[in-house]
Amino acid sequence: MTTHTFPDRARVDALDKVRGATQYAADVAVDRMTHAMTVPSEIVKGRLVSVDVQAARAIPGVLRVLTYQDFQDVAEAVLGAVGPYSFRTYHAMLSDRLIYRGEPIALVVAETLEIAIEAAALVTATYAPDAFSPNIDAEGTEVFVPEGSISFGDFDQAFDSAAVTIEAEYNHAAQHQNPMELISTTADFRGGHLYIHEGSQSSGAIKFGVALSLGLDPERVHVMSPTVGGGFGQKNSMQQQTVLVARAAMLIGRPVKLVLPRGQIFHMATYRPVSRHRIRLGLDAAGKIVAASYDGQQQNSRAETFRGAFSETAARIYAIANYRSSEQLIRTDTQSPGFMRAPFEHPASFAFESAIDELAHAAGLDPVALRLANQAETDPVTGLPFTSRHLVECLTEGARRFGWDDRSPAIGSMQDADGLLIGYGVGVGCYKAATSPVIARLRVSADGRSRISLSGHEMGQGMRNVIVAALVARLDIDPQQLEVIIGEPDGAPQHVTAGSWGTASVVPAVEAVADEWRRKLDDLRDGRSVAGNVHQVLFRLKRPYIDAEVQVLAPGQPVAVMDRLRQSLPSAVGPQYPEFVGLSFSAHFVEVRVEPSTRRIRVSRVVSVIDCGTVMSPRTAESQVYGGVIWGIAAALREISEQDPRYGGVLNNDLADYVVPVNADIGAIDVSFVNKPDPLLNAAGVKGLGEVAMVGVAAAIANAVHHATGKRIRSLPIRIEDVL
Amino acid sequence: MQPFTYSKAATSDDVIAALTGEGVQLIAGGTTLFDLMKLGIEQPRRIVDVSGIGGLDEVTLGPNELVFGALASMTDVASSPALQENYPVLAESLLKAASQQLRNMATVGGNLLQRTRCNYFRNGAMYACNKRNPGSGCAALGGVDRGHALLGGSEACIAVYPGDWAVALTALNASVDTQSPRGLRSIPLADLYRLPGQTPDRDTELAADEMILRIRVPAASYGRASTYHKIRDRESYAFALVSAAVMLDLDGDRVRAAHIALGGVATRPWRAPQAEALLTGQTLTPARALDAGRAAFEGATAGHHNAFKIELGARAVADALMIAQQRSTGQ
Ligand SMILES: Cc1cc2nc3c(=O)[nH]c(=O)nc-3n(C[C@H](O)[C@H](O)[C@H](O)COP(=O)(O)OP(=O)(O)OC[C@H]3O[C@@H](n4cnc5c(N)ncnc54)[C@H](O)[C@@H]3O)c2cc1C
Ligand code: SF4
Repeated sequence: MTTHTFPDRARVDALDKVRGATQYAADVAVDRMTHAMTVPSEIVKGRLVSVDVQAARAIPGVLRVLTYQDFQDVAEAVLGAVGPYSFRTYHAMLSDRLIYRGEPIALVVAETLEIAIEAAALVTATYAPDAFSPNIDAEGTEVFVPEGSISFGDFDQAFDSAAVTIEAEYNHAAQHQNPMELISTTADFRGGHLYIHEGSQSSGAIKFGVALSLGLDPERVHVMSPTVGGGFGQKNSMQQQTVLVARAAMLIGRPVKLVLPRGQIFHMATYRPVSRHRIRLGLDAAGKIVAASYDGQQQNSRAETFRGAFSETAARIYAIANYRSSEQLIRTDTQSPGFMRAPFEHPASFAFESAIDELAHAAGLDPVALRLANQAETDPVTGLPFTSRHLVECLTEGARRFGWDDRSPAIGSMQDADGLLIGYGVGVGCYKAATSPVIARLRVSADGRSRISLSGHEMGQGMRNVIVAALVARLDIDPQQLEVIIGEPDGAPQHVTAGSWGTASVVPAVEAVADEWRRKLDDLRDGRSVAGNVHQVLFRLKRPYIDAEVQVLAPGQPVAVMDRLRQSLPSAVGPQYPEFVGLSFSAHFVEVRVEPSTRRIRVSRVVSVIDCGTVMSPRTAESQVYGGVIWGIAAALREISEQDPRYGGVLNNDLADYVVPVNADIGAIDVSFVNKPDPLLNAAGVKGLGEVAMVGVAAAIANAVHHATGKRIRSLPIRIEDVL
Repeated sequence: MQPFTYSKAATSDDVIAALTGEGVQLIAGGTTLFDLMKLGIEQPRRIVDVSGIGGLDEVTLGPNELVFGALASMTDVASSPALQENYPVLAESLLKAASQQLRNMATVGGNLLQRTRCNYFRNGAMYACNKRNPGSGCAALGGVDRGHALLGGSEACIAVYPGDWAVALTALNASVDTQSPRGLRSIPLADLYRLPGQTPDRDTELAADEMILRIRVPAASYGRASTYHKIRDRESYAFALVSAAVMLDLDGDRVRAAHIALGGVATRPWRAPQAEALLTGQTLTPARALDAGRAAFEGATAGHHNAFKIELGARAVADALMIAQQRSTGQ
């Protein structure tokens, strides 16, 4: 087994990014380009009776105003599906039906952006509104119970005979990802081919989705998403605007660009839904957790079946013999929620790790000791072995680095010199170590150039870095003349890059295609290998270039899955593989300081220790964890999408009022890794990192707030009024 | 976006000459005006840029009076070492506002005229809003009112005045000099801002053709004993949940005079005379400071989600008083 951590190196795109030279999709300028703007619906639910576009059309420079009547023949492409559970199947403007406030009812196309904006404001509509259910507490919601909840043992019996029990309900607010890059689509229809530029984590879903929706041959749809300015799950499917813009470009015969304003993104994009978590835990006299139940509810739209799989991770951390879970989707009249960084794991760990802290408190046990005493050795859900598991090390090393032993357990018993209350809290997390099949193609030429195309998207997480590092470690090529083509289905079939499977899937494929390429080179020399720069070897052999291609499957995957990958259908697997269960783990230790008077909470210190297998790229790995921890702080103390139930929609839909943290909110963050290769998942020993980094942070903060103030806050975000 | 014409004025007389007819707006840093234009709240036909007028960005900190030219940038005023040292309440009110980028563009005159952050006001004509569309009602009543006023509201509007600088200026008895076709005048800040009453669409007493030239603040020998204490949802780049501008004239531990104004909780910059009176002639202790804070919120009317600000505000005032006292003794 080769195990290696690549040497620390600057990001390959660092210089371009700091100079502003990186081109994001919305920066693309095409010849004869026109500009579009959407008109949002002003009601929540009902029917569009008429749309008056006269005034908008009359503005000089307006080329066309599209309404649902221009999309009557569009097929609703069911692409945002994960197994049977869809999260992005509803597409606006395909009919006169309206299902949430802010969905587009018209698309104005004009010569300039300014004209498009002006004309969009002049479009008016009449509506036939229906009664609506704006949130999970409203009347008229529907309950949908997905199949496959996790249960084992006999919860009732174990809970009833437990020595210490707790029971509590936790709530998580709706939150919206706000990547810096706005959602945009630029579409250009030329010579019977459609070219689409869009920041996406799933360029393949756009290719096949648009083709299906508009009745085009997928071979004639070309999607480019080389650099994404942040995805976090928001851009992991075909979005609502893509088909609208593509159709507009085809109708007017000129390229069309739409960049959604930030306020509309709060209404067009998917988001983290409201969720509710009812948890019961039972501890026996020996300090073993013997019973757990987890009843989860998650908000959804009427259109989808996107489930909240909270127990997938909650059931796997501790050796709890008796576990029972139930799951409900509460369907409301809102836009469809979807995946947002650690979509189930973050809310689940907030609830479950808060509950564990409540149990420790009730039993008079140290929260770290309680966790250490109840670690699962094999997977409690399936009985399969874990591929690797170093959560104990995360906890013990984290406690050491943090100075957990200095914690005085009594509530409010620690203060600093300025009289601020100090609280210490801990939370742990896990996240599936998933793998996606990958196709990789490599061409290395005698003239010094190389090109590698493979499945994967660069969302700022550093995928290009890892690809370059893995390739140059394997083949002596010129990295300056290496072109990396990702996020482009024309280069290689694209998987949705999400679920923290990017690195674990891509690195083995890069290594395999390098080896295959080397084998082809050696074949030319009768199997004799030669060291040195391979461009020069080719030159001496008088071969202009050699191509190599490989397909790499996840452990235990049938080759047939390649057909799914070729159509960009979900094809990743994990955490459960045929013979084992793969998870990454995290432990977070948090110090908060709370002002005694106005009760402002500051996270002064976080220590995070992560088990993600081999750390391939130290710099980008560390940066992933900073980002995850900061988002944990944001989710715990800052972010909430505010809704007025009388109107639906999101009221605080800009970055001044939707409170993401600023630098001044963030204290010291100490990141370290166990850095032990996983022996089973892949040759590089990699497990996922991007999402596990966030899991457990919010609970650690809530637990620290409790330690400092005695207030157990069970609803996120924790704001000043909660601790006053 | 509605088309508009743009012109640049060289003198304040040019500006006044240009400010005639409907739909004319002057623009300084543009950080408020462009934002409101993008939201469709302001729809000027003509824009007169005042940023090139000479002399109106001067700041003088004299023995009797501080004078701030209306076109001085927030950054320039906030970073004046003399102001930071002698009137921290003024410097802090600017430094704790907006972001560095905004402060670089924004002027201290334009700052006074920023408009409410009420989400219903900002979110489009579909919401009932008497400020945006007189007579349409007020969607904030009974709605998401965490950011709305507890003081100075009416049944027509409970929108908070969002700025910080004007709150500090109000505590310090500032006034503005203005010019209009009717000549020059001086308006105390206390009279500049209107209570919403039945006409919340008019924020101030400033006429449409009137320009602010400068801001005047009476000098105080005890300006060091002051602070702008701002409590917000994040540590920077956020409007106040509640803020307290405080300046103390102290004789040892005894308060000769207290200046207290509140931000983030009222429909206009809010002076708190009951709190000031409660401290006058008294020894300042933490308990009395809290009493003063409570007095500042006498008569406050809470909505659904903002009641916590009565207690939070009282504590913020108390903390501000103690900070000011500490600064006075130089501890
Ligand atoms: C995201 C964001 C966050 C912010 N946060 C804060 C905060 O925390 N605290 C805070 O206090 N402020 C905050 N602000 C507001 C900011 O301070 C103001 O936008 C700024 O001070 C306005 O100054 P300006 O010169 O840009 O005004 P402009 O936008 O140029 O003008 C604003 C208004 O005043 C009028 N005007 C300008 N100058 C004059 C004059 N001399 N005479 C008469 N009328 C004039 C204009 O016609 C216009 O109506 C924030 C703003 C933004 C966009
Ligand atoms: S509070 Fe004032 S600004 Fe807000 S909706 Fe009501 S009337 Fe409009």
